[in-house]
Amino acid sequence: MSMGILMGPVGLLFIVLGFVTFAILFERKVIGWMQARIGPNRVGPWGMLQTVADILKLLIKEDTIPSKADHPLFKWAPVIAFVPSFAVLAVIPFTDQWVFADLGVGLLYYIAVSSITTIGMLAGGWASNNKYALLGALRSVAQMISYEIPLIMSVVGVILSAQTLNLTKIVEAQEDLWFIVPQFLGFIVFFIASLAELNRTPFDLPEAESELVAGYHVEYSGFRFAFFMLAEYVYVFAMASLTTVLFLGGWKPVFGLDLVPPILWFSLKFLLVVFSLFWIRATLPRIRMDQLMQLGWKLLLPLALLNIFLSAVLKEVFPGVY
Amino acid sequence: MMGLIKGMGVTLKTMTKQKVTRKYPDEPMEMPDRFRGIQHFDPEKCIVCNQCVRVCPTDCISLTGRKHPDPGKRGKVIDTYDINFEICILCDLCTEVCPTEAVVMTQHFELAVYTRDELFKDMGWLHENDSKIRSVNNVNARGVKK
Repeated sequence: MSMGILMGPVGLLFIVLGFVTFAILFERKVIGWMQARIGPNRVGPWGMLQTVADILKLLIKEDTIPSKADHPLFKWAPVIAFVPSFAVLAVIPFTDQWVFADLGVGLLYYIAVSSITTIGMLAGGWASNNKYALLGALRSVAQMISYEIPLIMSVVGVILSAQTLNLTKIVEAQEDLWFIVPQFLGFIVFFIASLAELNRTPFDLPEAESELVAGYHVEYSGFRFAFFMLAEYVYVFAMASLTTVLFLGGWKPVFGLDLVPPILWFSLKFLLVVFSLFWIRATLPRIRMDQLMQLGWKLLLPLALLNIFLSAVLKEVFPGVY
Repeated sequence: MMGLIKGMGVTLKTMTKQKVTRKYPDEPMEMPDRFRGIQHFDPEKCIVCNQCVRVCPTDCISLTGRKHPDPGKRGKVIDTYDINFEICILCDLCTEVCPTEAVVMTQHFELAVYTRDELFKDMGWLHENDSKIRSVNNVNARGVKK
């Protein structure tokens, strides 16, 4: 039994690492196609080994630590950033069978644990003892915290409808109608806020590779840098899963097509979300810092609050539908 | 807002379109006919007039000639003809000035090598570089009079 408890998460870790490897390749491919290019195609057949080669290069790089840096914190920051990204996957129900921890407060757990990563970023920027890293960290943290509020507010509508914080029960509440339909406003706010939480274009100001050297991880190299990047892509996995669970009906089939196994339905919806992340990255330009804050506080937060209000009112007026 | 959706549509459509990139090292790049590429040299046509050496702005051409081996014939024949592609700028002046079209341009352009010595091309190499020769080289050339 203890073996089984250990093997599950290890298996999931390998699945996630495999996903990250091919998500990066697929991202570059999709962006390439959308810019009328081919994308990586030199390393391995169809460029399959491109990411492997990139990671190998990162791993054999010299591990540099600035001499004036806060050594223990500098070493711990990537760990603090990565561990929550993997820990949140425990509550994601991939199917009704395949869920590692069926917590009653699964959604709350996800949101609470995922915000620990922000501390890892701030610690990384602070421990580098570099003004640019510190400024980058402050910028990232300001963004992450600002967008966490509309993100949480937008899922309150879902919680009101499902009357539970348990993610499995939230999926089961979508048996007849996915929450993307009654909670459309909530979905829009959630999706935009999740883009900002993931630090992805058009909200990738923390990195902004075409404008800045880097953000909080400017002093990091090699393995530790890889860990920050890994955390980012594991969050893509986690956030796409959460979007699928909350708004796209999780493993529930479309049009009653039960023949297709539930895990495949989950994967399809999940990949659709991941693809739209890449699609948005290939299309939209980065927004300015002041626009970022205005969008978060002046538009998304009021919309999310309005969504809560509407959900509550509609639930009272049409109790059957909502 | 509509602009954003329109942009998303554009990128989605571009995905399936013909790619604009070329598979250059895998598929050779076809240069236009009037491209100024690595010279081809024909020793039979050369009359050792030395005009190409004098006109060359980077002094990359060096040649030597000797008297015609047949005592009955006038003029000279070429002995050595070298172009140093370290400094050649492929300016086309040597072919423009050549009265017999002995040195002409081709559409070859790949000159990447591992040592600088390899860029010093001699008469034999330039003579063998005889494919993809530019069709019109010197409009004033009169041809070889033997």
